[in-house]
Amino acid sequence: MPHLSLEHVSVQYDGQPQPAVTNASVSVQSGEFVVLVGRSGCGKTTLLNTAAGLIAPTGGRVAVDGMPVTAPGADRAMVFQNDALFPWLSARENVGFALKLRGVPLKERDAVAERLLALVKLDGFGSKSVWELSGGMRQRVGLARALAAEPAFLLMDEPLGALDALTRERMQTLLLDLWAANDLGVLMVTHGIDEALLLATRVVVLAPGPGRIVHQIDANFGRRYAAGETVPAIKGDPAFALARAELEDWIFEGEAA
Amino acid sequence: MTLTAQTERSITAAASGSSDRSNARIATASPLTTTRVVSAFTILVFFLAWSVSAHFKLVSPVFLPSPQAVLWKFYSVATTGFVDATLWQHLSASLFRVFAALLFALLVAIPVGIAIGISAIGRGIFDPILEFLRPIPPLAYLPLVIIWFGIGESSKILVIAIAMLAPIAISTASGVRGASVERINAARALGATRVQVVRYVILPSATPSILTGLRIALGTGWTTLVAAELVAATRGLGFMIQSAAQFLVTDVVIMGIFVIAIIAFILEIGIRRVERLLVPWSGRE
Repeated sequence: MPHLSLEHVSVQYDGQPQPAVTNASVSVQSGEFVVLVGRSGCGKTTLLNTAAGLIAPTGGRVAVDGMPVTAPGADRAMVFQNDALFPWLSARENVGFALKLRGVPLKERDAVAERLLALVKLDGFGSKSVWELSGGMRQRVGLARALAAEPAFLLMDEPLGALDALTRERMQTLLLDLWAANDLGVLMVTHGIDEALLLATRVVVLAPGPGRIVHQIDANFGRRYAAGETVPAIKGDPAFALARAELEDWIFEGEAA
Repeated sequence: MTLTAQTERSITAAASGSSDRSNARIATASPLTTTRVVSAFTILVFFLAWSVSAHFKLVSPVFLPSPQAVLWKFYSVATTGFVDATLWQHLSASLFRVFAALLFALLVAIPVGIAIGISAIGRGIFDPILEFLRPIPPLAYLPLVIIWFGIGESSKILVIAIAMLAPIAISTASGVRGASVERINAARALGATRVQVVRYVILPSATPSILTGLRIALGTGWTTLVAAELVAATRGLGFMIQSAAQFLVTDVVIMGIFVIAIIAFILEIGIRRVERLLVPWSGRE
């Protein structure tokens, strides 16, 4: 079973007085949904980018199945807040991008892209240009593009951060559906506490100055959704409110009220 | 008459728009229309003033021929020619030089721009060369190019191409540097190699900027044309203007200037079309 691990990772940017992240250990296995939360400047994004191989840790290491990670790879596809789609390509071509990099012929690429677009409920939008799509649609194209690489892990940096509340809720359930159906290991950064709890199998709380992991809690609300429970029912569960309060305590601990 | 009426209407519209800001924002078309109408009016006034001063011989016709004379010259040079070539032959000689130079400049300057944009070493190598070339007027290096490459066609093309290098390379480099880090990272996380990142992400990202550089370069090319055709040319718009000036055939000089301006204008429109075709996404993100 694929296993992504960050082991005692520290990242010190040049010219910064203190490290962005110190001694952080996180592990993600297939079927796990790990969410990083914390205040601004706590190093969530740095940690995610380190897992992606975009940033080399100055201490500790990142490994997939025990093999050290030194560069980005298609086994760890990424989704960004500002979708980072390629506007010179159509939605379909964006989704097929990973396959194009591997030299897969156009026809095959398009077939895969159409299937994935249907999976994110964008059937029939394949030939649209990126700028013709709404924010939520673009984010779904970004998801489909990441899935096309057939990654073992999905690394998402505030993927829903730029969306309006309604779209955001629908995207949350879509993420859960995709995660459950594809046996992915997910590592995601978010600002939303509810979102973190609803999606995660484990929530990792980071604190700034220097960025470090201060708390982790296991959650099963996402699994309950995958098992058929509705979102309002889950959010109405007292356990959800309790877990939420616990998270808030840890996130805002040490911050002047 | 209709023109003045339109102007008044647009001005009234603009005035009422500016008194109410929200209104002005909704009616965004009217300031543009106003500008266009005023522009058309300016041109009209210019030709009117020219006609009047020529008609009453405020300036000697040797120095300022009438618009009609210039228009007539346009016809006569187009049909019977001037200094052994028709207007079309002069024009095509010049167009050939400008476009050959553009092709050469693109082939050299785009790779150079990419090198400057993506690598510190590339930047170290090419930046000083470009900064050296950029401010030198074509007339200054023309003699050297002739000493080195003779008085043939290649020298003329080279003079124009040198002037085009800097704008294209600099725009390309800025486009390359402006490529979104997130897009580059997304491609890398999808398995793109360094070369694939350049080809599939950086180059397309830089295309709008490259086209801007191309547009500036074409403008530069036209301004350099006259210098390039100073020596040993037998055809070309620049050559035609200079020959006419030597014989004080002022109407041909003015006609030549207008032809250059009109062609430059047409090319400008053409490039905008190309931009809309190649990079319809530019500015819509």
